Formats: sequence, structure tokens, C-alpha cells
Amino acid sequence: MSGHDSKYFSTTKKGEIPELKEELNSQYKDKKKDAVKKVIAAMTVGKDVSSLFTDVVNCMQTENLELKKLVYLYLINYAKSQPDLAILAVNTFVKDSQDPNPLIRALAVRTMGCIRVDKITEYLCDPLQRCLKDDDPYVRKTAAICVAKLYDINAELVEDRGFLDTLKDLISDNNPMVVANAVAALAEIQETSTRPIFEITSHTLSKLLTALNECTEWGQVFILDALSRYKAADAREAENIVERVTPRLQHANCAVVLSAVKMILQQMELITSTDVVRNLCKKMAPPLVTLLSAEPEIQYVALRNINLIVQKRPTILAHEIKVFFCKYNDPIYVKMEKLEIMIKLASDRNIDQVLLEFKEYATEVDVDFVRKAVRAIGRCAIKLERAAERCISVLLELIKIKVNYVVQEAIIVIKDIFRRYPNTYESIIATLCESLDTLDEPEAKASMIWIIGEYAERIDNADELLESFLESFPEEPAMVVLNNATVETDNPDLRDRAYIYWRLLSTDPEAAKDVVLAEKPVISDDSNNLDSSLLDELLSNIATLSSVYHKPPEAFVSRAKSASAKPDDDEPPLPILLPSSTGQGLQISAQLVRRDGQVFYSLLFENNSQMLLDGFMIQFNKNTFGLAAAGPLQVPPLQPGSTARILLPMITFQNISPGAPNTLLQVAVKDNQQPVWYFNDKISLHVFFSEDGRMERANFLETWKSLPDSNEVSKDLPAAVIHGVDAAIEHLAAANVFFVAKRRNADKELLYMSAKGPSGVPFLIELTAAVSVPGVKCAVKTPSPELAPLFFDAMETLLK
Amino acid sequence: MITDRGEVPKGSAEIFFRKVKFWKGDEAEEAPPVFNVDGVNYIHVKVAGLLFVATTRVNISPSLVLELLQRIARVIKDYLGILNEDSLRKNFVLVYELLDEVIDFGYPQTTSTEVLKSYVFNEPIVVDSARIPPLGPAAMFMQGAKRMPGTAVTKSVVANEPGGRKRDEIFVDIIEKISVTFSSSGYILTSEVDGTIQMKSYLSGNPEIRLALNEDLSIGRSGGNSMYDYKSSAGGGIVILDDCNFHESVHLDNFDLDRTLTLVPPDGEFSVMNYRMTQEFKPPFRINALVEEAGSHKAEVIIKIRADFSTSVTANTVTVQMPVPKYTTRVSFELESGAIGQTTDFKENNKRLEWCLNKIVGGSEHTLRAKLTFSQESHGNLTKEAGPVNMNFTIPMYNASRLQVKYLQIAKKSKTYNPYRWVRYVTQANSYVARL
Repeated sequence: MSGHDSKYFSTTKKGEIPELKEELNSQYKDKKKDAVKKVIAAMTVGKDVSSLFTDVVNCMQTENLELKKLVYLYLINYAKSQPDLAILAVNTFVKDSQDPNPLIRALAVRTMGCIRVDKITEYLCDPLQRCLKDDDPYVRKTAAICVAKLYDINAELVEDRGFLDTLKDLISDNNPMVVANAVAALAEIQETSTRPIFEITSHTLSKLLTALNECTEWGQVFILDALSRYKAADAREAENIVERVTPRLQHANCAVVLSAVKMILQQMELITSTDVVRNLCKKMAPPLVTLLSAEPEIQYVALRNINLIVQKRPTILAHEIKVFFCKYNDPIYVKMEKLEIMIKLASDRNIDQVLLEFKEYATEVDVDFVRKAVRAIGRCAIKLERAAERCISVLLELIKIKVNYVVQEAIIVIKDIFRRYPNTYESIIATLCESLDTLDEPEAKASMIWIIGEYAERIDNADELLESFLESFPEEPAMVVLNNATVETDNPDLRDRAYIYWRLLSTDPEAAKDVVLAEKPVISDDSNNLDSSLLDELLSNIATLSSVYHKPPEAFVSRAKSASAKPDDDEPPLPILLPSSTGQGLQISAQLVRRDGQVFYSLLFENNSQMLLDGFMIQFNKNTFGLAAAGPLQVPPLQPGSTARILLPMITFQNISPGAPNTLLQVAVKDNQQPVWYFNDKISLHVFFSEDGRMERANFLETWKSLPDSNEVSKDLPAAVIHGVDAAIEHLAAANVFFVAKRRNADKELLYMSAKGPSGVPFLIELTAAVSVPGVKCAVKTPSPELAPLFFDAMETLLK
Repeated sequence: MITDRGEVPKGSAEIFFRKVKFWKGDEAEEAPPVFNVDGVNYIHVKVAGLLFVATTRVNISPSLVLELLQRIARVIKDYLGILNEDSLRKNFVLVYELLDEVIDFGYPQTTSTEVLKSYVFNEPIVVDSARIPPLGPAAMFMQGAKRMPGTAVTKSVVANEPGGRKRDEIFVDIIEKISVTFSSSGYILTSEVDGTIQMKSYLSGNPEIRLALNEDLSIGRSGGNSMYDYKSSAGGGIVILDDCNFHESVHLDNFDLDRTLTLVPPDGEFSVMNYRMTQEFKPPFRINALVEEAGSHKAEVIIKIRADFSTSVTANTVTVQMPVPKYTTRVSFELESGAIGQTTDFKENNKRLEWCLNKIVGGSEHTLRAKLTFSQESHGNLTKEAGPVNMNFTIPMYNASRLQVKYLQIAKKSKTYNPYRWVRYVTQANSYVARL
């Protein structure tokens, strides 16, 4: 081989393909080889070289192994993208699967399995049958994987031809590589099948445990993962298994270590002797910690897993908290996970050390990390009663630095501490009040007001302090308002609650306390915050993606057997209005929709937090159309990782906001565990278009004439497009915009249509557009021209 | 990007790239190595400035994929000698062929360069390493170590050398990354050594090798019992590792007896042994930092570093960094008189002082003074708003743990057989921090 491969990537000149064609058919194998390489290079950068297919395949008939492999390389990649063409090479595959050279036999089977076309699978069966029993282990191990490939294309065929039994025989193969691949293939097939295909008996167990010591690191992972499904008969068997697996903890490959940990944890459930369990915990600790010396990416996976492990078995790493201290150069995603684990491992014994660290982190540069460090101090206070006072004094120290976001975060967590330990630390309120004027985040303000309200009877100037919030009241987000609104608000719910609060405070502080105390949920130690059934499920999924996301597999794997059918899969996704980043893990997507002549608020709740969320309530602020919920919001309690889709019936003209019509819909959602969330939605006028909006031509003309010209408004909708007149008519009719008449003017189509809006307001519409050209001119005549801007918005949405 | 099955939609490379580039997650603004977009899981590692990505739809073992990606990067490096965009581009067909043998239908088959050699036929086109600026591990031996051939580590394992037959040689590198956190009063809060014995063999005929470590090496601290923690360092002598693990080719038959490792090194670069030590050790540098107010809008910073190691050893590429208060507008530096090879800089955009020293000889001490000017009055809490001081360095021929390769024995094929052996030590800072 001569020259540089880089020349294969030089720009396409005219005539490149014929040139390559000529070279491919050259007499000289070096030239052929070079040509095939050029073709592969062209293919990988996305050039279409399919016209050379037959020429490349012709090169396959060669004794030269290097050339042959190149052709296969081309085929394997082609097979995935253009299977139809690959069929042309089938005869060569079949022939090659009987070649004297095992490398070629394996190549043939491997490549054939990648061609995902039903027609080809029949041709594959005979060669596969032979290769599964080949003398050469390289061929057998390739064939074993090929069974999994075939099962993925045509499961029935695999079962009919008895490949599964042959595959099971390979578990007893004398070559560990073959065993490992057979196990991997069987495990995957079992994963997609509901029938028991790959059951691990005590016999297979002992065979696999033996193979474990001989096979490659990757094979060890396959075997360990497959064995982790095995349920030992009793404690003794479990101990035996663990003994055979423990040496794997010493492996340099982190995947092997984690899979071994998974297996040991699983068997530990059965082991009754506390001595054995204690000893195992001791053995697992150093390798788990060593995972943190690996690359940061692996550290991240390890930390997410350790997070689960320490929730179940806190003793394992109880003495290792130092290794979770953040390093200066840790990537932020590693630091965040370390913080979580530090909180989980914090105890009365090490809290001083831990607080020293948190304090240091709280002065670092990264704002998100700093906030989390401050929260961590609060969570330790809530977790460890005896350390609460020390936590608070650290928080006060941090407040004194006067870094705005640190102060706000500290106040939020101090509020939680107050709720956890009522009437214990109110002496610090005075210090908190000093930073009152620096607060500008809703949650921090709300927390401060809560504190003042809660301890009003002990703060001399509570009313003055509250008043300072009232000054800025009209511009405040509703969250703050909720806590101190007594005047100037139009929201009846807010006003009522605020009045009660105010009166109670001013007349009878004791009663106020009763009410407030009764209302709030108990703040508890949330550092071990996974629900125990979820934790168990996640622990059984240690060393999988599930344990990294902290979600059960069915929450993100569509192929899993237990995957629950998603409702209304054909519906377009709802826009996300409250991202989980803002909602502390709660994500809300919502949109107004019209169904059967009624307006609904279609909502999707996704709980990405680590706790159960329940007691959902919803409230709509005053809006142009007075939209409000027709009944209570009925959301089932949401387990972590689960979702709920709700159709909430709406009524109109309940609490109308005055002023020019606008599309703003402000929504508040609360649950029992989190603060109240506020988000804005946009009302699209077309949800009000009623089913009875059709107008006869005569009626249309008459109404048009009866309205003054000043009632006609028009606008160009640049994003709208009409792809065909009939299609557009049909599409709009589905949205209750009805066809009246049409005509053509030069190259433009003119459509006349009618719709009936909220409280029966008619809209007479003229659309002008050239078919398939973006940009539609929309003219509308209506008794309520002030709604025209909203109307145009709606039409543009409908015609997108 | 590796998508070994046709289950992932087209354009996922694009989706991945956008997601990583503009990550805005729940908490952090850097994409975690594992994430899910529309049912597709993206798993990636960064190696030598390149992103290696794999995708899957099933609930697989992420650590398996991450390890695999690292290993793929290593195999490619073994083959190409140097891993960068240019070398990848030039060797696309070879890399394709390698991947095809490394994974089948998403299952890793082998990542051993040695094994792959018998299945892979394309030959690497070695990029001219002279043109490439020394980077990463290759660079750390470049300075002050004339005895070592500089290009060695960037030599392809499989490519023949221009001169014809390959030179028989073996490299054993004891690489230690140390992390130390000093408290404001100079006490050591945490200290840790992450070590690895890295081997790269160019020996023909794969002879057996014996590697002897410190005879008194002991492994495993007894749980939470801190008996060893401090006493041992006072007594000197024995090296106690918290934990270690070994490459699968290593035989440990004699390890418990005389601390020797026996192995037949496969071709390519690999870690013979990884180890971790939290036993206290003598940190190579002492850092002394002071921040003091000097007037209403001014402050002075003094950073002193002392090299606490033998005068025969020289640290190189030392950088000292310290964040200063955000409202710092100007900094004037003052180096000690006669300072050579030192530069200073005020990184305005992230408000950091940076002090670079080309060389630090053992036993020496260096001082930096900096005058800060603020745009506002300080809150009177300067130590909370500045620091910590962070240090980066490389010290060749030095190791913090005192773990040693006592000898490296190569099974003799003939009397004249005497391949080159390079045993090298190097210590690098991982997280070397002094708090204010």
C-alpha cells in the first residue's frame, strides 16, 4: 500500500465515479484495494457510491484476504443503510460461509446478520446452523451473536430452526469467548421475550462461574449481568456464589467491578449471617472508592450508583466520606453528585469536617454549585438534629459575605430548618432581617415573609418589615403575593387567603400559628429520599442506565417488556411550560384543547424528582376570557419517574381581567411537597371556535355588508402556508373554521370562511394565498375587531 | 460516534452535538456523560480533545460503554501512534476495520491490540509527530530527561519503523496523580495518591516479565480504624495502599509472598496496576497565601511556594492560580528580583491570578506579590471571596507514594538479548489546593 489515505477524502471531481469503476475492475489487486478504500472513504463522508456496488462486490471473489475484508467492510456498512442492494451479495456470503479460512467464514455470517431484510433471513439459516457448530471458536462466537441479530429480525424463525437450543449448548463450549457471547445473546433474547428462554439453573450457574475466571473482561460483564438474575436457593448457596465473585472486585475494568458489586448486593439479601454481611461490606468499600480514581465520566456513573447503595447499606462507606470531598478540578457533574453523597454520609461524627467543606464550596465560583452547597448545609441541619445549631451558624457566616445568591439560598434553607425545629432558633431572625432588602428572588422572599409571619409575635416591627414588601407588591410575582397580599389584588383566592392571614396575625397570633402550623406539611430528612420500593427496583438495576437516571427502566426504554403503552401516542406533544429544572424535578406540559364542543386544559405531569408528589391543585389567574377550571384537578399521586396525563374541563367568563384582550394565561400549580409553581401559557383563540360557526353564503354576505368597514382588519401571516385548497378547507373545518366560498385571482386563491368565537362573536374571513408559497393574507370582519390580533395568531397556528 | 445497530434515528450525531454544546440541565451547565434524548441514550467520553460517543436504546451497563470507549481510544492510539483529528482522518478505513472487530452488534469482543493484530489488515499511516506540539502524557517526559527518546510514547505499536526492524524496548511508567487540600492554617485536610503502573511494550516475541515492587508494600487499611493513618508516616518505611487492581494479564502467584508481578505483556499500552493511597505523605510543595486589605479599594496578595523535595529533582510547567474578588479591576504584580522563566497574568474574564513558573528546583522558594484594585469597597471578608490557591505541576523522577519498581526482569531468549528498559517516575498534580 502506498501513499496517504487522506487523498481519498479530496473533493469530488467530475468523473470520480467512472474513474473508481475502472480502478475497481483493474487487473492489479493493489489498485483494486486502493479503489475499495477510496469507495469506503467516500461512503463515510456521505457520498453516494451505490452505483459502484456491483463493481465492489465483484472484488469479493478473491483469494486475497486483505481485499476481501475491505469489501466486507464496505458491505457491512452498506447493509445497514441500503439493505436491498446488499441482497445482491447473498450468494457470495453463502459461499464464503464455507470457505476454508475461518476468518472469512466468520465475516460472512457477521455481515449477513447485519442485513435487516426479512427475505435474506432464510438464506442465513443454513450457514448459521453450520457456523454455530464450526470447529473454530472465532466462527462460533460470531455465530452466537448472529442468533441474537436474527432473533431481532425474525424471532419465530429462530425458534422454529432450533437455534435457541444450539445457543444454549454453547454455554458449555470450551472456549470462554464463545460462552460469553452465547450468554450475552441469550440474555438479550430473554429481555425481549415474555417466555422463559434462558433460565439459569444451578448447573448453568456453576458452569458460568467457572467460565468467569477465564474469559475476557467484557465476557465477565456479560456473565455477571446474566447471573445477577439468578435467585440462590438459600443463604449457603448465596455465600458460595459471592465467594466466587468477590475476586472480580479487584479487576481494573470498572464495568466488571460494578457488575460484581451488583451481583454481591443481590446475593447479600439472602445471607443471614451478620458477620458475613459485615465482611462483604468491608470488601466492597475499597473497590467502590477506587472507581473514583477513574476518568470523570466513569466517576459519574459510579457516584450515581453509590448514591443508591448507601441508601440501602449506609455502613459500607460510612468511614470513607473524605473521598467524596470535591476536588478542585472535578467536572461540575461530578461535584454535584459528590455533594449528594456527602449529605447521605454526614453523621454526628463527621459533621464538623463536612460543614467545613460545604462552607468552602459555598464561596466557589460556580453559582449552581454554590447554591447546592448552601442547600446541602440546610439538609444536614434537618437530618442531624444535634448538628442543626452548627449548620445554622455556618449559614449565618455565609449570609455575612453578602453575596446575593448565597444569602437568598441560605434564607430558603433556614426557613426549612425553622419548620423542622419550631421555636428553637428564632434568635437569629434579627440577623436575617438585615438582609431583607437584598432579596430579589421569589422563593427567597416568600421564605423570608413566611419566617416573619411565623414569628410575628416575637418581632417588634413585623408589620413594618412586611410593609417593605408591600411597597413593591404590585410588581411582585404571585408567589410572594400569596404570602402577604391583603390589598390591591384582584385574585379572589389570593385575597381571601391573605385576608385571613392578616386578620389572624393582627388579632390573635396564637390562632395564626395554629392555622399556619396546620397547613404546612412536615419537613423531614429528605437526604435518603427514594421511596423504598423504587430504591429496591433501582438497586436490582445497579450498573445499568436505570441506576444512573434513578428511574425504573420502563420509564426510558421503549423496548422493555413492561413498557406501559403511552396514552394518546398519536397526539402531538404538549409544550413544556414548567421545565423540571425550574420545578425541582416536576415538569408540566400543557395546552388548551377543544374536545366535543368543550374547552379542556390538557396537562402532562412528569415527576423527575426523587420523591412522591401528591395533592395537586391548580388555579388560573384572571384572563381575557375568564378561563377557569370547571372542577378540581384530579392527579393521582406521582411516584418518582412516573407521569400522568390529565384533561381538565374548563369554563369561561369566570374571572375576567379588564383591559385590552390578550392571550396571557397565568397558571399556578401546587402539591403537598413543593412550593407553589407559576407558569404562563398562551391562549389560542381557536379553542373557542364553536361547532355551530358555519354560515350560509347569503348570510355571510349580509353580515359582511352590515358591519362597518372599520370593523375589517387584515394582516399578512408570513409563517402560514396553504398546500392545497381542499386540504386547507378540510383542515380548517376540523378546527371549526368553515368554508363559505372560493375564487381565483391571477395566481392567488381566495377563500371565504366563517367561525364563531367566544360568546358567539362571528368572524368573517378572507384568506388570500398562492398555493404552497409561505405567506397568507388574512382579512377578518367581526363585531369585535379588538379580538383580531388574537384571531390572526390563531389562524397562523392553524395554517403552520 | 458508535451506533452499531440500526436502531437509532439518522441525525443523532447532530442531536448529540447540539445537546452537549448547549447543555442546560437541572443543575449543571456541563453535559453529564450519560443522558437520554427522545428514548436514545447518549454515552460519551472526552479523550485528547475528541468526543467518543455511543448510542443505545436499551438499559445497558453505562460503565461498560464508558470503559469500552476509553479502550477504543487507546487501541486507536496504539495503532496510530498519536490520537488526534488529523491522524483519525488519515486512517479512517483502518479505524473502521478496528471498530468492526472490537464490537459486534453492540457487544464488545476484544479491545486488546495484541489480539486485534491477527484480524486487522489495514496498516496505519503515521502522522508526522514532529509537527505536532507535545501534549498530554507524551509531553511530561520531554523536559529535563535527555536520556529518554522523546518520540517513544507516540510511536505506533504496529507500524514498522522507517529503518526496518523494530527496536526492542519496553517502557514502564509509574505515574502518580496527587491531590492535597491544605487548610487555611496549613494543615493537610485530605491527601490522596492515584497511581498507575503503565506499560508499553515493543518487545518482539512477547517474553515473560517480572516486576518487583517494594517488599514491605502492604495493601488495605483496616476499615475505619485509623491506626495506620498517621503513625505509619511518622515511622517512615512501609508503603500502605488503600486498594489496588491489576490488568488481566498479571499473575499474582508470588505477589503475596514477595510482591512481584509476572506477566506476558500484550502489545499496546495498558495499566499493569492501578493503586490508591490515602496514607499521609510529604507533599512536594508547601503553599503560603495571604490576602490583606490595603486601603479602601485595595488589597495585597502574597503567595509563597516552597519546593519540599530533593535538590536533584526539578518540577516543570508549574502554574499557580487564584480567584480574586469579582469586583477586582486591576492587578499589578511584583516578582522576586532575578526571577527567570516566570510569567504572571490577570485573567480578567474569570477574575483569576495566574503565575507560571517554567522550572522549580527542589529546595527553592518563590514568592509572588500582587496588588489588587477594586471597583467597590470590599465586604471585609476577603478570604471568603478570594482563593483557594490551586497549583498544577509535573515532577519527573519523583513519586509521592514511595512505591517503587525494584527491578524489571525480562525472560532471556538468548545471551545477547538485552532490550532497552525504561522505568520512569512522574508525579502530577490532580487537585492541589490551599485554602485561604
